[in-house]
Amino acid sequence: MNSDKQIVSKVLVLDDASAHFDSMKAFYEECGLIGIRPQQTGVASVMSILKSNVDLGGIMLYENFGGKAGQGLELAREIHESRPELPIFLRRDAVASVAGLSEKDAGMFRCAYTLADLQQLRATLDSSIFSRVYPNDLVRGITEFTRTSLESLFANCDIDIETPYLVKDRIIYGEVFTMISIESNWCRGYMMFQASEDAVLDLVRRAAGSGGETWTFRELNNVLGELTNLVWGSFKNRYVGHNDSQAGQNQTQVPIIINHRSGYISFGSEDPQLCFKYVLRERNTPDAAPVPIYQRFVFNLNWSPEAFKENPTVESLVDSGELELF
Amino acid sequence: MAQILVVDDSSTVRNEVGDFLKANGLLVTTAVDGKDGLDKLKADPSIKLVVSDVNMPNMDGLTMAEKIRNEHKNSTVGIIMLTTENSPAMKERGKAAGIKGWIVKPFNGPAVIATLQKLVN
Repeated sequence: MNSDKQIVSKVLVLDDASAHFDSMKAFYEECGLIGIRPQQTGVASVMSILKSNVDLGGIMLYENFGGKAGQGLELAREIHESRPELPIFLRRDAVASVAGLSEKDAGMFRCAYTLADLQQLRATLDSSIFSRVYPNDLVRGITEFTRTSLESLFANCDIDIETPYLVKDRIIYGEVFTMISIESNWCRGYMMFQASEDAVLDLVRRAAGSGGETWTFRELNNVLGELTNLVWGSFKNRYVGHNDSQAGQNQTQVPIIINHRSGYISFGSEDPQLCFKYVLRERNTPDAAPVPIYQRFVFNLNWSPEAFKENPTVESLVDSGELELF
Repeated sequence: MAQILVVDDSSTVRNEVGDFLKANGLLVTTAVDGKDGLDKLKADPSIKLVVSDVNMPNMDGLTMAEKIRNEHKNSTVGIIMLTTENSPAMKERGKAAGIKGWIVKPFNGPAVIATLQKLVN
């Protein structure tokens, strides 16, 4: 996707090991990254940068950044809470893995690496830094309105959003799968939600109370169908121009191939899919296992991010959910 | 008591909106698409208000509204759209069909109910 263009991405470098700075700078340049460093290492300074830089592609974080053991981890938690869409790459002293971190902490990082072996980092950078391909405003917006939609349908759950990522594989997660086409003047493709039937069905049954005991996959289909509808509508309202002329034109299409036995779907192109993972945690049932729902976008029919723009906010529009009387 | 017809192809929405309206003292009937909505409206003259989705199979909500006004000559029933759509062009089409209001999903019951009760009464 956009392989004919030289696209770079800015990364915030939170690594004060100055002895390695030159070699890391050269590595970033090889990978098409522009590293920027904060003037001060305090949390407030870093968070201030994050608020002012909305077009970062990621964070390069040293586990002991700031000079104290574990300080980098504390900073990672702040960053992840504030900007969950930003992938964080963790440099460690001893092991090139997230070994020793809690499951929740480990989930904040796209990968962990050591200076002795940068190959894994290079591979992960290629697949993770979405802003090389996707506008940050788009990625941020998708997570915002998808969270709102999930909260409206799963009112009993807290929603965690893991770092967005790119994949090139075509494996379908779980048994339940929804798909809807996305059409605009700057992109054409599909959005999908993928989930494990048992996990989500158990969740909606518990949310429905005694009336939900007899619910089957059909009720689950309806919930995920409505989720798809809500997110699709939000995408259109935010990113598809009201005067876009795609509708009604003779548009190209390609066959979509699904292999049920292999859990595989092909959209006829090698383009990566932009992926989001939402983890639903029942607020009043702490023992219940978290339920992941995967959202994937594949813009296989048209992708022209140079024409991407967000619809202007119209002052007269009422807030979502409220009644606008004519 | 006034009857409200909720038209949506999603049973999740029909249940959510229907249950909320019932809990607020309103009588509710449901339909699964625009065609079903027309049939239900025709069969039950006590329906005073229609809350309808736009994008539905068989017949969309705007077409249903136009048929209610033009073919069925029903100018008294109030029609409100509950939809993910928010385009000015669609709203204009809705206004031309005599739609009274527009709600962008997700449904926010407390924000809507007071206005609905005014319309019904």
